[in-house]
Amino acid sequence: MGPLATVGQVFDAIQTVKRNAPEFCTNFFPVQRKLQGWIDHGELFGEVHRGAAFFLRKDRDFWHLYFCAANKESLAREITGLPELKRDPVVVDLVGNEEVSNDLSNLLKPEGFRPYRTLYRMARISQSDSQPSHGGGTPINCAVSTDAPLIWELLGRAFDRYAEQLPTLYEIEAAIDSHQILTAKHNGTLAGLLFFETQGLTSTVRYWLVDEPFRAFRFGSALMQRYFAAQTAVRRFILWVLADNENAIQKYRHYGYAADGLVDRVLLNQIIQA
Amino acid sequence: MKTIIEILKEIRPEFDFTVSRDFIADGMLDSFDVVTLVAALDKQYGISINGTDIVPENFKNVEAIEALLRKSGARP
Repeated sequence: MGPLATVGQVFDAIQTVKRNAPEFCTNFFPVQRKLQGWIDHGELFGEVHRGAAFFLRKDRDFWHLYFCAANKESLAREITGLPELKRDPVVVDLVGNEEVSNDLSNLLKPEGFRPYRTLYRMARISQSDSQPSHGGGTPINCAVSTDAPLIWELLGRAFDRYAEQLPTLYEIEAAIDSHQILTAKHNGTLAGLLFFETQGLTSTVRYWLVDEPFRAFRFGSALMQRYFAAQTAVRRFILWVLADNENAIQKYRHYGYAADGLVDRVLLNQIIQA
Repeated sequence: MKTIIEILKEIRPEFDFTVSRDFIADGMLDSFDVVTLVAALDKQYGISINGTDIVPENFKNVEAIEALLRKSGARP
Protein backbone atom coordinates (compact mmCIF):
# COMPACT_ATOMS: atom_id res chain seq x y z
CA MET A 1 0.00 0.00 0.00
CA GLY A 2 1.49 3.36 -0.99
CA PRO A 3 1.73 6.61 0.97
CA LEU A 4 -0.84 9.29 0.15
CA ALA A 5 0.44 12.77 -0.61
CA THR A 6 -2.74 14.81 -0.96
CA VAL A 7 -6.27 14.90 0.38
CA GLY A 8 -7.40 14.86 -3.26
CA GLN A 9 -5.96 11.36 -3.68
CA VAL A 10 -8.19 10.16 -0.87
CA PHE A 11 -11.32 11.69 -2.38
CA ASP A 12 -10.39 10.41 -5.86
CA ALA A 13 -10.14 6.90 -4.44
CA ILE A 14 -13.54 7.25 -2.77
CA GLN A 15 -15.08 8.57 -5.98
CA THR A 16 -13.70 5.69 -8.02
CA VAL A 17 -15.46 3.26 -5.71
CA LYS A 18 -18.64 5.19 -5.09
CA ARG A 19 -19.50 5.92 -8.72
CA ASN A 20 -22.73 4.07 -9.53
CA ALA A 21 -22.60 2.18 -6.24
CA PRO A 22 -25.98 2.50 -4.47
CA GLU A 23 -24.92 -0.10 -1.86
CA PHE A 24 -21.75 1.78 -1.00
CA CYS A 25 -20.43 0.89 2.44
CA THR A 26 -17.63 2.44 4.44
CA ASN A 27 -16.06 2.91 7.83
CA PHE A 28 -14.22 6.02 6.65
CA PHE A 29 -15.63 9.38 7.78
CA PRO A 30 -12.70 11.68 7.10
CA VAL A 31 -12.57 15.17 8.52
CA GLN A 32 -10.46 17.22 6.12
CA ARG A 33 -8.32 18.80 8.86
CA LYS A 34 -7.44 15.41 10.35
CA LEU A 35 -6.80 13.89 6.93
CA GLN A 36 -4.38 16.71 6.18
CA GLY A 37 -2.58 16.11 9.48
CA TRP A 38 -2.17 12.39 8.79
CA ILE A 39 -0.88 13.10 5.28
CA ASP A 40 1.51 15.83 6.47
CA HIS A 41 2.98 13.39 8.98
CA GLY A 42 3.29 10.51 6.48
CA GLU A 43 0.79 8.39 8.42
CA LEU A 44 -1.76 7.59 5.70
CA PHE A 45 -1.43 4.91 3.02
CA GLY A 46 -3.95 3.67 0.51
CA GLU A 47 -4.78 1.69 -2.62
CA VAL A 48 -7.76 1.18 -4.88
CA HIS A 49 -8.95 -2.29 -5.83
CA ARG A 50 -11.84 -3.36 -8.06
CA GLY A 51 -14.90 -2.01 -6.26
CA ALA A 52 -13.10 -1.13 -3.05
CA ALA A 53 -10.50 1.27 -1.66
CA PHE A 54 -8.45 0.64 1.45
CA PHE A 55 -6.55 3.03 3.68
CA LEU A 56 -4.14 2.29 6.50
CA ARG A 57 -3.25 4.88 9.13
CA LYS A 58 -0.22 4.45 11.35
CA ASP A 59 -0.96 4.86 15.07
CA ARG A 60 1.74 4.10 17.67
CA ASP A 61 2.57 0.39 17.14
CA PHE A 62 -0.40 -0.63 14.98
CA TRP A 63 -2.55 0.41 12.00
CA HIS A 64 -6.15 1.56 11.60
CA LEU A 65 -7.86 0.09 8.55
CA TYR A 66 -10.46 2.14 6.68
CA PHE A 67 -12.40 0.95 3.66
CA CYS A 68 -14.86 2.17 1.05
CA ALA A 69 -16.60 -0.47 -1.02
CA ALA A 70 -19.21 -0.48 -3.76
CA ASN A 71 -21.06 -3.13 -1.76
CA LYS A 72 -20.43 -5.78 0.87
CA GLU A 73 -19.57 -8.42 -1.73
CA SER A 74 -16.79 -6.22 -3.15
CA LEU A 75 -15.47 -5.60 0.33
CA ALA A 76 -15.42 -9.31 1.20
CA ARG A 77 -13.75 -10.19 -2.09
CA GLU A 78 -11.08 -7.48 -2.16
CA ILE A 79 -10.07 -7.39 1.50
CA THR A 80 -8.61 -10.87 1.14
CA GLY A 81 -5.95 -9.35 -1.12
CA LEU A 82 -4.44 -7.14 1.57
CA PRO A 83 -1.16 -8.71 2.71
CA GLU A 84 -0.93 -6.25 5.61
CA LEU A 85 -3.76 -8.03 7.41
CA LYS A 86 -1.70 -11.21 7.66
CA ARG A 87 1.51 -9.42 8.58
CA ASP A 88 0.83 -6.30 10.65
CA PRO A 89 -1.22 -5.41 13.73
CA VAL A 90 -4.46 -3.89 12.39
CA VAL A 91 -7.52 -2.41 14.10
CA VAL A 92 -10.78 -1.67 12.35
CA ASP A 93 -13.62 0.51 13.66
CA LEU A 94 -17.11 -0.16 12.35
CA VAL A 95 -19.32 2.84 12.98
CA GLY A 96 -23.05 2.91 12.41
CA ASN A 97 -26.23 1.70 13.98
CA GLU A 98 -26.24 -1.73 15.67
CA GLU A 99 -27.44 -3.53 12.54
CA VAL A 100 -24.92 -2.01 10.13
CA SER A 101 -21.95 -2.49 12.42
CA ASN A 102 -22.99 -6.10 13.15
CA ASP A 103 -23.28 -6.91 9.43
CA LEU A 104 -19.84 -5.53 8.69
CA SER A 105 -18.35 -7.23 11.74
CA ASN A 106 -19.59 -10.63 10.53
CA LEU A 107 -18.21 -9.90 7.09
CA LEU A 108 -14.69 -9.27 8.44
CA LYS A 109 -14.50 -12.32 10.69
CA PRO A 110 -13.28 -14.65 7.90
CA GLU A 111 -10.30 -12.30 7.50
CA GLY A 112 -9.24 -13.03 11.07
CA PHE A 113 -10.78 -9.98 12.73
CA ARG A 114 -12.35 -10.60 16.13
CA PRO A 115 -14.59 -8.37 18.24
CA TYR A 116 -12.58 -6.47 20.80
CA ARG A 117 -14.59 -3.65 22.35
CA THR A 118 -17.67 -1.56 21.62
CA LEU A 119 -18.20 2.15 22.14
CA TYR A 120 -21.48 4.04 22.30
CA ARG A 121 -21.92 7.63 21.30
CA MET A 122 -23.74 9.70 23.88
CA ALA A 123 -25.26 13.11 23.29
CA ARG A 124 -26.60 15.89 25.44
CA ILE A 125 -28.72 18.71 24.07
CA SER A 126 -28.29 21.84 26.13
CA GLN A 127 -31.39 23.54 27.46
CA SER A 128 -31.53 27.22 26.70
CA ASP A 129 -32.62 27.93 30.29
CA SER A 130 -29.79 25.95 31.93
CA GLN A 131 -27.45 28.03 34.02
CA PRO A 132 -23.74 27.23 33.80
CA SER A 133 -21.98 26.27 37.01
CA HIS A 134 -18.35 27.27 37.39
CA GLY A 135 -17.07 24.33 39.44
CA GLY A 136 -16.57 25.92 42.82
CA GLY A 137 -13.12 26.83 43.99
CA THR A 138 -11.09 24.05 42.37
CA PRO A 139 -8.46 25.62 40.11
CA ILE A 140 -8.99 24.47 36.54
CA ASN A 141 -6.83 25.98 33.82
CA CYS A 142 -6.11 25.53 30.14
CA ALA A 143 -3.14 23.26 29.48
CA VAL A 144 0.15 24.91 28.53
CA SER A 145 2.71 23.70 26.00
CA THR A 146 4.95 22.09 28.61
CA ASP A 147 2.02 19.86 29.63
CA ALA A 148 1.91 18.14 26.22
CA PRO A 149 4.27 15.20 26.96
CA LEU A 150 2.64 14.67 30.37
CA ILE A 151 -0.81 14.61 28.77
CA TRP A 152 0.40 12.19 26.11
CA GLU A 153 1.80 9.89 28.78
CA LEU A 154 -1.30 10.09 30.99
CA LEU A 155 -3.69 9.37 28.10
CA GLY A 156 -1.56 6.43 26.98
CA ARG A 157 -1.62 5.01 30.49
CA ALA A 158 -5.31 5.55 31.19
CA PHE A 159 -7.00 4.74 27.89
CA ASP A 160 -7.11 1.79 25.51
CA ARG A 161 -4.93 2.65 22.52
CA TYR A 162 -6.69 0.18 20.24
CA ALA A 163 -10.23 1.33 21.04
CA GLU A 164 -10.07 4.98 22.01
CA GLN A 165 -8.31 6.77 19.14
CA LEU A 166 -5.58 8.30 21.28
CA PRO A 167 -4.15 11.56 19.99
CA THR A 168 -0.62 11.98 18.75
CA LEU A 169 1.70 14.45 20.41
CA TYR A 170 1.16 16.91 17.56
CA GLU A 171 -2.61 16.69 18.04
CA ILE A 172 -2.20 17.38 21.75
CA GLU A 173 0.02 20.38 20.99
CA ALA A 174 -2.56 21.73 18.54
CA ALA A 175 -5.35 21.24 21.08
CA ILE A 176 -3.34 23.13 23.71
CA ASP A 177 -2.83 25.97 21.24
CA SER A 178 -6.60 26.03 20.68
CA HIS A 179 -7.29 26.03 24.44
CA GLN A 180 -9.15 22.73 24.14
CA ILE A 181 -7.52 20.90 27.04
CA LEU A 182 -8.47 21.80 30.61
CA THR A 183 -6.25 20.58 33.42
CA ALA A 184 -6.48 20.15 37.18
CA LYS A 185 -3.17 20.22 39.02
CA HIS A 186 -2.34 19.23 42.57
CA ASN A 187 0.83 20.80 43.95
CA GLY A 188 2.04 21.28 40.38
CA THR A 189 1.35 17.67 39.34
CA LEU A 190 -1.05 16.98 36.49
CA ALA A 191 -3.97 15.33 38.30
CA GLY A 192 -6.68 15.33 35.66
CA LEU A 193 -7.77 16.71 32.33
CA LEU A 194 -10.67 17.22 30.01
CA PHE A 195 -9.76 17.23 26.31
CA PHE A 196 -12.52 18.53 24.04
CA GLU A 197 -13.17 19.73 20.51
CA THR A 198 -15.73 22.43 19.86
CA GLN A 199 -16.98 23.21 16.38
CA GLY A 200 -19.70 25.82 16.33
CA LEU A 201 -22.81 24.50 18.07
CA THR A 202 -21.35 21.04 18.76
CA SER A 203 -18.71 20.08 21.29
CA THR A 204 -17.11 16.66 21.77
CA VAL A 205 -15.47 15.47 24.96
CA ARG A 206 -12.61 13.34 23.71
CA TYR A 207 -11.03 12.40 27.05
CA TRP A 208 -11.97 13.11 30.64
CA LEU A 209 -9.97 11.60 33.40
CA VAL A 210 -8.52 12.07 36.85
CA ASP A 211 -5.35 10.14 37.61
CA GLU A 212 -5.73 7.40 40.23
CA PRO A 213 -3.97 9.11 43.20
CA PHE A 214 -6.17 12.22 42.89
CA ARG A 215 -9.67 10.74 42.69
CA ALA A 216 -10.76 11.97 46.13
CA PHE A 217 -10.29 15.65 45.24
CA ARG A 218 -13.42 16.11 43.07
CA PHE A 219 -11.31 17.27 40.14
CA GLY A 220 -13.53 15.34 37.72
CA SER A 221 -16.68 17.29 38.47
CA ALA A 222 -14.74 20.56 38.56
CA LEU A 223 -13.34 19.85 35.09
CA MET A 224 -16.76 18.99 33.68
CA GLN A 225 -18.46 22.01 35.22
CA ARG A 226 -15.75 24.32 33.94
CA TYR A 227 -16.09 22.75 30.50
CA PHE A 228 -19.86 23.28 30.37
CA ALA A 229 -19.50 26.80 31.73
CA ALA A 230 -17.14 27.71 28.89
CA GLN A 231 -19.40 26.26 26.16
CA THR A 232 -22.29 28.68 26.44
CA ALA A 233 -22.86 28.78 22.67
CA VAL A 234 -22.90 25.01 22.28
CA ARG A 235 -26.23 23.29 21.66
CA ARG A 236 -25.13 19.67 21.21
CA PHE A 237 -22.57 17.89 23.37
CA ILE A 238 -21.32 14.46 22.30
CA LEU A 239 -18.74 11.86 23.35
CA TRP A 240 -17.80 8.22 22.82
CA VAL A 241 -17.67 5.86 25.79
CA LEU A 242 -16.70 2.20 26.11
CA ALA A 243 -19.88 0.14 26.37
CA ASP A 244 -18.53 -1.81 29.36
CA ASN A 245 -17.46 1.28 31.30
CA GLU A 246 -20.58 1.49 33.45
CA ASN A 247 -18.94 3.91 35.87
CA ALA A 248 -18.25 6.45 33.13
CA ILE A 249 -21.66 5.93 31.52
CA GLN A 250 -23.36 6.66 34.85
CA LYS A 251 -21.33 9.82 35.27
CA TYR A 252 -22.18 11.01 31.78
CA ARG A 253 -25.87 10.27 32.41
CA HIS A 254 -25.61 12.39 35.52
CA TYR A 255 -24.51 15.29 33.31
CA GLY A 256 -27.43 14.75 30.94
CA TYR A 257 -25.86 12.61 28.21
CA ALA A 258 -27.80 9.69 26.68
CA ALA A 259 -26.89 7.09 24.03
CA ASP A 260 -27.86 8.36 20.57
CA GLY A 261 -27.81 5.01 18.73
CA LEU A 262 -24.43 5.31 17.03
CA VAL A 263 -22.13 2.38 17.79
CA ASP A 264 -18.43 1.81 17.15
CA ARG A 265 -17.41 -1.85 17.10
CA VAL A 266 -13.65 -2.23 17.36
CA LEU A 267 -12.15 -5.37 15.84
CA LEU A 268 -8.54 -6.57 16.04
CA ASN A 269 -6.74 -8.84 13.62
CA GLN A 270 -4.88 -11.98 14.63
CA ILE A 271 -1.50 -10.28 14.87
CA ILE A 272 -2.61 -8.30 17.92
CA GLN A 273 -2.57 -10.40 21.07
CA ALA A 274 -4.56 -7.99 23.29
CA MET B 1 -41.12 14.52 -1.57
CA LYS B 2 -39.27 15.78 1.51
CA THR B 3 -37.49 19.10 1.33
CA ILE B 4 -33.80 19.40 2.09
CA ILE B 5 -34.64 21.14 5.35
CA GLU B 6 -36.93 18.26 6.32
CA ILE B 7 -34.20 15.72 5.60
CA LEU B 8 -31.71 17.74 7.64
CA LYS B 9 -34.20 18.04 10.48
CA GLU B 10 -34.62 14.25 10.56
CA ILE B 11 -30.84 13.84 10.96
CA ARG B 12 -30.32 16.58 13.57
CA PRO B 13 -33.68 17.64 15.00
CA GLU B 14 -32.06 19.82 17.67
CA PHE B 15 -30.86 22.43 15.17
CA ASP B 16 -32.66 25.12 13.21
CA PHE B 17 -31.13 24.81 9.75
CA THR B 18 -32.98 27.87 8.47
CA VAL B 19 -30.80 30.28 10.45
CA SER B 20 -27.31 29.06 9.49
CA ARG B 21 -25.29 29.87 6.39
CA ASP B 22 -22.65 27.21 7.15
CA PHE B 23 -23.89 23.99 8.74
CA ILE B 24 -20.36 22.54 8.98
CA ALA B 25 -18.60 25.55 10.52
CA ASP B 26 -21.55 26.01 12.86
CA GLY B 27 -21.18 22.41 14.08
CA MET B 28 -24.65 21.36 12.96
CA LEU B 29 -23.43 18.50 10.77
CA ASP B 30 -20.41 16.30 11.49
CA SER B 31 -18.73 13.78 9.21
CA PHE B 32 -21.10 10.97 10.26
CA ASP B 33 -24.08 13.21 9.60
CA VAL B 34 -22.75 14.09 6.13
CA VAL B 35 -22.52 10.42 5.21
CA THR B 36 -26.05 9.89 6.55
CA LEU B 37 -27.22 12.92 4.58
CA VAL B 38 -25.60 11.66 1.36
CA ALA B 39 -27.37 8.32 1.75
CA ALA B 40 -30.68 10.10 2.41
CA LEU B 41 -30.25 12.38 -0.61
CA ASP B 42 -29.20 9.47 -2.85
CA LYS B 43 -32.34 7.59 -1.82
CA GLN B 44 -34.72 10.53 -1.93
CA TYR B 45 -33.60 11.76 -5.37
CA GLY B 46 -32.55 8.45 -6.95
CA ILE B 47 -28.99 9.61 -7.56
CA SER B 48 -25.45 8.67 -6.52
CA ILE B 49 -23.46 11.62 -5.24
CA ASN B 50 -19.81 11.29 -6.23
CA GLY B 51 -17.20 10.67 -3.54
CA THR B 52 -15.18 13.69 -4.63
CA ASP B 53 -18.25 15.83 -4.03
CA ILE B 54 -18.46 14.77 -0.39
CA VAL B 55 -16.59 17.84 0.84
CA PRO B 56 -17.76 20.40 3.41
CA GLU B 57 -18.34 23.12 0.81
CA ASN B 58 -21.13 21.09 -0.77
CA PHE B 59 -23.05 20.72 2.50
CA LYS B 60 -22.57 24.12 4.06
CA ASN B 61 -26.12 25.36 3.41
CA VAL B 62 -29.30 24.55 1.53
CA GLU B 63 -28.17 26.38 -1.62
CA ALA B 64 -24.94 24.37 -1.75
CA ILE B 65 -26.84 21.11 -1.27
CA GLU B 66 -29.28 22.10 -4.03
CA ALA B 67 -26.36 22.84 -6.36
CA LEU B 68 -24.83 19.46 -5.51
CA LEU B 69 -28.13 17.72 -6.23
CA ARG B 70 -28.39 19.43 -9.61
CA LYS B 71 -24.80 18.47 -10.43
CA SER B 72 -25.62 14.90 -9.46
CA GLY B 73 -28.59 14.78 -11.82
CA ALA B 74 -31.45 15.48 -9.43
CA ARG B 75 -34.13 18.14 -9.60
CA PRO B 76 -34.39 19.54 -6.09
